[in-house]
Amino acid sequence: MKTSKPLKVLVQTTFAAAVATVMLGGLASTTLFSAETNSVAAPPKTDPAPASTNSAAVNAKAPEAEQPVLKHQLTGAELYSMHCNRCHPERYPTERTAAQWKTIMLHMQVRANIPGDQARLILQYLQDNSGR
Amino acid sequence: MKKTMKTLCGILRLMLAGCVIGLALPSRVAAEVSDADFNALKETVQKLGEQVQNLQQSNIVQQQTHAQDLQQIQQLQQKLTETQQIATNAEQKSIEASMTQPMPRQPIDEATVNHNFMMMGDAEFQYAKIAGQHGAFLQADFAPIFLYRGGDNILFEAGFDTTLANNAPGSGGYTTTFNLSFAQLDYVMNDYMTFAGGELILPLGTYTERGAGWLNKIPDNPLAVDALLPGTGLGVELRGGIPVGNAGESLNYEVYVVNGPGSSDTTGTSGAAGNLDLGGNVGVLSDGSTVANLHGHPSGGARLGFFVPFKPHYDLEVGVSGQSGEWDDAGNHLWSAGVLDAALHLGASFEAKGEYIATRYGSDDIGTHYQQGWFVQAGYKLAGLDLELPLINNLEIVGRYDSLHGIYDSADNAFDFKTRRYTVGYVYYFTNTLLFEGDYEFLNSNDPSQADQFILQLSLGF
Ligand code: HEC
Repeated sequence: MKTSKPLKVLVQTTFAAAVATVMLGGLASTTLFSAETNSVAAPPKTDPAPASTNSAAVNAKAPEAEQPVLKHQLTGAELYSMHCNRCHPERYPTERTAAQWKTIMLHMQVRANIPGDQARLILQYLQDNSGR
Repeated sequence: MKKTMKTLCGILRLMLAGCVIGLALPSRVAAEVSDADFNALKETVQKLGEQVQNLQQSNIVQQQTHAQDLQQIQQLQQKLTETQQIATNAEQKSIEASMTQPMPRQPIDEATVNHNFMMMGDAEFQYAKIAGQHGAFLQADFAPIFLYRGGDNILFEAGFDTTLANNAPGSGGYTTTFNLSFAQLDYVMNDYMTFAGGELILPLGTYTERGAGWLNKIPDNPLAVDALLPGTGLGVELRGGIPVGNAGESLNYEVYVVNGPGSSDTTGTSGAAGNLDLGGNVGVLSDGSTVANLHGHPSGGARLGFFVPFKPHYDLEVGVSGQSGEWDDAGNHLWSAGVLDAALHLGASFEAKGEYIATRYGSDDIGTHYQQGWFVQAGYKLAGLDLELPLINNLEIVGRYDSLHGIYDSADNAFDFKTRRYTVGYVYYFTNTLLFEGDYEFLNSNDPSQADQFILQLSLGF
């Protein structure tokens, strides 16, 4: 025990960080969306509907309000090419059917810790281009 | 333009002709025409002649301008075609640049899978030539994965590993093993959190979770991953990813509780170092007494990772993970591990990744054991050279350095076991999931049983 300080510190730090992350995750579903909405909708205070949690709608309004900091919504194709060949050779959309992709994407979402909204966009892309 | 001019000229000529005829008519007619009339007519005819000349001249000028216009139009058209070509070229180049080097595709086999139940996995076999031994087909491996999806957010996944391998020199025959690699039930609670329970692949580093046959570019695992980490554990886990930026960045995490390493002790009293059972799920005494479980306290562990994509195919992921828990109640001995991991992609052709692993556990006989090891691995797909040679384009060159320092001896303040290994090799991609790998491993160890070896492996992901 005496000579083990660095490892102990490492383990403790990991735990602390992990606990913090879980708390974040737990709050995520309630707070993250509203935080996102605020960060985009707050500067142009003219936006009459800040209660909307539909980030796409908020984004659509941003250019009208001449908001320079535009949140670029990544497309399913972009997310696919970001994620789907970093752990293994790329798996092409045509390799599977739309129904099969639904099962596989759930598998990959869990395995790769892909946030749900990104996973949905990727699934849509895979199904749109699937082998049937 | 030209046409109207022609008609005009025609009319004028007709009129002129009329006049001439009029002049040439017999004097009976002339008698009827006065001089004044004649002069007026003559003047008119002269004027008309002048006008005709003028018109003809302006016609010539107009024709010249028209020719110039035509030339200009032709030049513009040429320029336009050139610009269009440049634009298409640029577009094509940008498309090419943004595309992954295409790999031959695997045909779709629709008939073998149902809608929400699927079987997939990997299969491989190896040939190896170990220094000082004859070369031989070393092992065959079939590792199916079953997925069952129950609705939108429930998934059951289980992986098996059936391996047939030659026994070590000195003992004849071969051994077939059948293992449950993992079997877990996933419940996706929301976009950012999933609950998983069962036999879990432990997120100590990322290699274990991402090391299935066709995923790994080198046939064998890094020494430290095999020797120091438990691999799997029976327990529960919360995991997920939280987006933290606009460019796809995300924090990902796993927190889990598993039985953890146990003791293979048969007496229930001794906490000797040799009794550590890394894969031991419960550490039940092998004398049959299930009450005297040496494993009263589960282990806890976690990983926190940060994934930063710069653009498609360019990304960095770093993570820190650890696990700790009692492996032997009797001696109150802890087993703990800490792992740092990183993975980097620079374009579709280059990948580098590595892990540093350190573990420590207490024992009654030789006090605290430290073990550590690390690996770095890099791969470069030759398709990135744009050589347009089919055979070369399917090749990836790989290299790895890994080391394992085991059993720290506090008496002489040194590790009793030290191995360094250098691996160079290639992956040939027949398709994106059929890989033919070859590697040479140079070993540098204080353990004489560790020898250089040459391995070939064919692996298929399905
Ligand atoms: C975090 C690493 C990781 C990422 C990112 C990843 N995969 Fe996988 N993938 C795996 C692993 C590991 C396997 C092997 C199966 C297993 O061990 O469960 C696999 C297997 C597969 C398979 C084979 C069938 C199966 O389910 O076993 C397909 C198809 C697949 N992945 C598609 C994808 C797609 C599409 C994406 C993009 C969203 C993706 N993967 C992203 C790790 C990853």
